[in-house]
Order: sequence, then structure tokens, then C-alpha cells
Amino acid sequence: MAVAWATLRRSWLVTRRAYPWSYFISTLLLGVFTIGLGYLGLRAIAGDQVSAEFTGKAGTGDYLGYIAVGAAAYMFVVHGILWAGKAMLQEQREGTMGALIVAPARRLPYLLGFCAFAGTAVAIEVAVLLGFAALFGVRPATTGAVDAVLAVVGLALAVFGMSVVLSNVMIVAGEAHITQNTVFYSIALLSGFTFPRDYLPEVFQWLGELVPVTAAMDVIRGVFTGGTGLPLDRLGVAVLISLLYVAAGLLSMPWAERRAMERSY
Amino acid sequence: MIETIGLRKEFGARVAVDGLNLTVPGGRVTGLLGLNGAGKTTTIKILATLLRQTSGTVTVGGLDPVKDPHAVRKRINLIAGGERMVYARMTGRENLWYFGQLYDVPSKVLKTRIEQLLELVGLTSAADIRVERYSRGMTQRLSIARGLINDPDYLLLDEPTLGLDAPIARDLRKVVAGLAECGKGVLLTSHYLAEVEQLCAHVYVIGDGRHLAQGAPAELMAQTGCHRTVRVTVTDLTPRIRAAALAFDDAVRFAPGGVVELNRPGEVAGALTTTIIEAGGTLGGLEIVEPSLEDAILALNDRSPAVAA
Repeated sequence: MAVAWATLRRSWLVTRRAYPWSYFISTLLLGVFTIGLGYLGLRAIAGDQVSAEFTGKAGTGDYLGYIAVGAAAYMFVVHGILWAGKAMLQEQREGTMGALIVAPARRLPYLLGFCAFAGTAVAIEVAVLLGFAALFGVRPATTGAVDAVLAVVGLALAVFGMSVVLSNVMIVAGEAHITQNTVFYSIALLSGFTFPRDYLPEVFQWLGELVPVTAAMDVIRGVFTGGTGLPLDRLGVAVLISLLYVAAGLLSMPWAERRAMERSY
Repeated sequence: MIETIGLRKEFGARVAVDGLNLTVPGGRVTGLLGLNGAGKTTTIKILATLLRQTSGTVTVGGLDPVKDPHAVRKRINLIAGGERMVYARMTGRENLWYFGQLYDVPSKVLKTRIEQLLELVGLTSAADIRVERYSRGMTQRLSIARGLINDPDYLLLDEPTLGLDAPIARDLRKVVAGLAECGKGVLLTSHYLAEVEQLCAHVYVIGDGRHLAQGAPAELMAQTGCHRTVRVTVTDLTPRIRAAALAFDDAVRFAPGGVVELNRPGEVAGALTTTIIEAGGTLGGLEIVEPSLEDAILALNDRSPAVAA
């Protein structure tokens, strides 16, 4: 736990010094624009009308509420991955990867420290987004506090699993931009953040099942959008796939770190 | 003791280290020397668990870094002069605190050790300044303090004084010598060969990843025929004096300006000058040049067919 706490403290210090407040403002504006565009689209294009097909597939006729939950979850996932998944790449770029690897600290608490920091930072961003959505009359509903906590924990676990795997890919490839954007665009399409997955061809729906955030989003939707409660089967799938990602990521991490060290020779 | 047997590392088709046998006992500073690309840094990074060998065995204090890197990492540390290895946006003190956590140094010990290390590397007054505002030398000094934060049994030093001012480099050499006196095993690579001569009781010379020679610096110089050079300047270098000098030793060379030069083991200056004087020569000057480790390494590399190729 000492390593996790120390890494959380280090991340806080470094981030506070590295990024001016304008960075946080720009991050917060992302949420504002997402909700704003959703509102404008609903009013100007759809004339405040939501099709019966959408209502049937989304489980709700509250389009703005659907968008707000999806945008908040997407922000949670993307920024979580950006913070935790890029941690090792950042070490590589800063010239500290060797010093980190040669230390006996395990990588799991190190990454959990980054996730704890990411969770804090992302919570603020999501709160602003949901607060702005509330100005447009969006009132997020939940089927219960326990359901809500389990749904968020499921999504966080999915983010962590993906972060560990992506971290390895990034340090081996020595780049983040292509890797992260490929993942972000893919999950935006496949995982049900901005539209019901039932709109997708079946093959894409199955492709979506390869990443843990898809099942985790089904849980989020059930608790925060559809009002159907906690879908335990989907939560189980999310947890299982996430743990597989975590295990695969942690097991392959020593190999990835050595490959990253070798790239400089 | 750190020991490698038949250590080999390949990067694709390139062989960086080829069958290296190396021993780094406790209580001694061991040098690892070679020209650029000889495989020194690769060897050190294998010992530091950063890279894994292609074949051969490595043991660190009886532990296998491949099977148990975690246990090995508790007992070693690495200081690499060419890399920063500290966080730019943290202060010196914060850096040492963070690495202390990574090494699980107990809080009370860590607090004292941080102060001691800051003093050791001369950064006490700059301890609360961010590293991004440090000079290169200050950053390197902090990196040295980081490398000592876990009080390692074995210290791997890859060009540790690179970029350091002379007084700080001198202080670091004292620290390294002190660590060895305390029983720690130190492996040092450095381009400053005077530093190696001063610190290392035993030196390995490698070229193109292969072992070329080993021994104490003086032994290496003797092995390679690098002996002190005697230069006698003769004001009237006649054919008779030349003949007498060659009769004394056929390895004598003659240089412009009436210089008679001889490179031999042992004390030959007295006998050579006596020979020249007895042949009727008048001495204009006498110079004795001590051999250097650099001469020995260059000679070893020149002789190595692999390196020469």
C-alpha cells in the first residue's frame, strides 16, 4: 500500500506542477460541449422527438439522460486509460523507467496508485459534466446506491484491465497516440457509450464483447439509464473479462518492460 | 558476489555481449572497460535485471535475476550517468522520498538517510527545488543519491561521473571507495580511466562483447607491454651513440631532436643514460612517462581480431 500511496502523492504533485489550470478547464469543457451538442441535436435536428426504435433499444426515451450517462462513462474510461495506461510510457519518456524497474516495488500497487489518482481527477471531470447536464434538466436515475456503486466499480475494473494491457502495448511500441486513439474510437463505436449497441451489426456487437468496458457499460445502462437494475450476468462478464485483462497485462509486463529497455539499444 | 558465466546477449542479429565471464566480489571496486559499443552498458543492465541475457548464467548474491528479480532488486542499485533517472517535476527531497517508498525503506530510516545522502552529494541547500531547475551536474548528483537510497549490497555504476564538476566527481570517488571498504561490491564503467585506475582493484576489458583481458590496472599494463617510456635527449647524437644505444637494447627508437626513446619494464633510465654518456654523449634532458590504462585498453583492442575487423 505504501507504493500505491506514494505513487498517488507523486502523481498529484507532478500533475499539479505540469499542467496549468487551463488544462483542467479544457478538460471540463469537453463535458460541457458533449452535453451541449446533444441538446442542440435533440432540439434543432430531432425537434425534441425520440423515435420509438431508440426508446426500445435504449430502454429510455430520455435522450439527454442517455447521452449524459454515456458521455460521463466515456470520459471516465478515456481519461482513466490516459492516466493509468500511459504511466509507464511517461516513465520511459522522462528517463525514469530504468530507475523504476530496477526498484523492487511490484507493478500492481504502482498502477493502483495511478488509478487512484486517475479516479480522483476523473471524478471531478464527470461531476462537472453531470452538473452541466443537470442544467438541461437531466436527472440521472439509479436503481439503488448498491447497484450504482457496483456498476461504477465494474467500469473502473474494466478501465484498469484495459490500462494494464495498453500500458504494455504502448511501451513496446514506444508511442501512445495511435494506440490510444485506435482503442478510444473502437470502444466509442462498439461499447454502447453514445447509442444502443443493438443498432450495430451482429459481428460488431460480438467484437465489442472482446473489451471489458462493453459488458461494464451494459451494467451502467441497466442501473443509470434503463432502470432495469443491476444485470448480474453482465456484471459477471465484465468482471471476468477485466480480470483476464489484468492477469494478462501483469504477466506480460516484465516482458514488455524488457522489450522497452531493449528498444533503446 | 555477482558472477556471470558465458554471458551472451543478442539484439536481433547483433551480438552485444559474447560469452562474458565476470566476477564482482563484495568489498572491491571492479572495473568494466572497453571502447564505445563494447557491451559494457548492456552487461550492467543485464546485471540490473533491466535486460535478460540470451544465454549464460548470472547470479547476484547467489540469486538468479531471471528466476527471482524481485529479491535481486532489493540488493542492488544502478546509477547511470547517461540517463536522468529522477523526476523533473519533483524536488530532490521528494524524489528520494518516492524512491525510498519503492525500496520499502522504513520511514524513520528513510528520513535520516535522505538528509545524509543530500549532504553527501552536496544538495542540501537545493533539496526543495524542483529537479527541472537543477543543472546537469546537480541532477546527476541527485541520481547518485537515488542509487544509494536502499543502501545496496551491490552498486552498478555506468559512467557515474559523466557531466560532474571535478570536486563533485572527486567526492563521489571517495564515496565509492568507502562503499567498497564497507564490504559492498561495486561494478564501475567509466571513460575517465584515471578514475578507474584510482578506484578499481580489478579490471575487465571487453571489446565487441568479448573478454579481452583482466587483472589489476598495473597487471593489465604489463600484460599489454605498456611500460614506462624513457626519453633521453642527447645534444650530439652521433652514430657511435646510436650504436651504443642499440647495443644496450635493440628496442631503442630515435626521434627528431636527438631523442632516444625506450619502452621497457623495470628501471632502465639509469642504465640507458650511463650507456649514452659512456659513448660520449651529452644529456640535454631526461623524461620518464608512466604508462596509462588507456594505452593498455587501446593496445588490447588493437590486438583483438574481432574488434579490429
